[in-house]
Amino acid sequence: MTGRLKLGAQVVTLLCVAGLLALLVWKLAHGQPAPPKVGSKAPAFTLSRLEGTGKVSLASLHGDAVVLNFWASWCDPCKAEASVLERAWLRYHHRGVIFLGVDYHDLAPDARRFVAAHKLTFPMLEDGPGRVTGSYGVQQVPETYVLNRDGTVVAHLAGPITAPGFGARFRAALKKVA
Amino acid sequence: MIARLAVVVVAALALAAPAAAACRQPRTSLAYLEGQVMCPTCHTTLDESNSPAALQIERFISAKIARCWTSQRIENALVANYGEGILAAPPDSGFDILAWWLPIGGVLAGALILAFGVWRWSRGRDDADPPGTEPALDAETERKIDDLLAGLE
Repeated sequence: MTGRLKLGAQVVTLLCVAGLLALLVWKLAHGQPAPPKVGSKAPAFTLSRLEGTGKVSLASLHGDAVVLNFWASWCDPCKAEASVLERAWLRYHHRGVIFLGVDYHDLAPDARRFVAAHKLTFPMLEDGPGRVTGSYGVQQVPETYVLNRDGTVVAHLAGPITAPGFGARFRAALKKVA
Repeated sequence: MIARLAVVVVAALALAAPAAAACRQPRTSLAYLEGQVMCPTCHTTLDESNSPAALQIERFISAKIARCWTSQRIENALVANYGEGILAAPPDSGFDILAWWLPIGGVLAGALILAFGVWRWSRGRDDADPPGTEPALDAETERKIDDLLAGLE
């Protein structure tokens, strides 16, 4: 009887340790995902609009090229690139390129003030919890992805598009997908 | 006379304004909420962060405290915007309640296992060495001891 009890206790202890180990491995494996590579499919998402009602999904935009810009109202470099993005949007939206701003880890009223202050007219989506932003491996804003018409990543700019070298890459990617 | 009356009215209004601004319930504090709310970009509580996102939330909290919002109402507004992950402590309802009860259950189970182990160990010692008894010797050993004692006499 004592032997059985001892064996049972050992099995339970081993199971507990194995469970905790499995949890640790799962957490490590499901941490921050790596950014989608150029040439791979962009992660699917559906997000609410920052202004007005309704949702926008990436799948609903197939057939159009997409510029996905991750930003936040508290981010200073985002202010610097806002006008550049708006000008690009005005230039390319008639050529089948949809610009989407994804507001991340931000307070919605502050984000709306940011949009108004910078006179941004392209659609804005809110990702307060940062789930979609996380699935794109965004570590810090701003970051911009350019997707072609079948949703494949053509360019990934991890920083403001006003940074040296990024402007040329952004323009080249836009020309490629337009 | 009219001028004096106007001064009295203005003074009364000036005194009444702070009273009107007072809250019905005790005002919560930024210091308290800074320990309850996470910075979404740095994954520490607000009081340990100076990131722009944390400072933005602190400004939001201060504005709401000034408007007499309770801590619960402020937390609810933040959860609506950022999701449950914005709170330092997990919610005490639904599946998340496990986060509260599992550690308590673990400590209790550990204490029970420890108590049981100590009890069995002490019982084992008692059984092995009961007070007032001496270990029995086999016949051969007893015979040898007797021979040795006889040799001493």
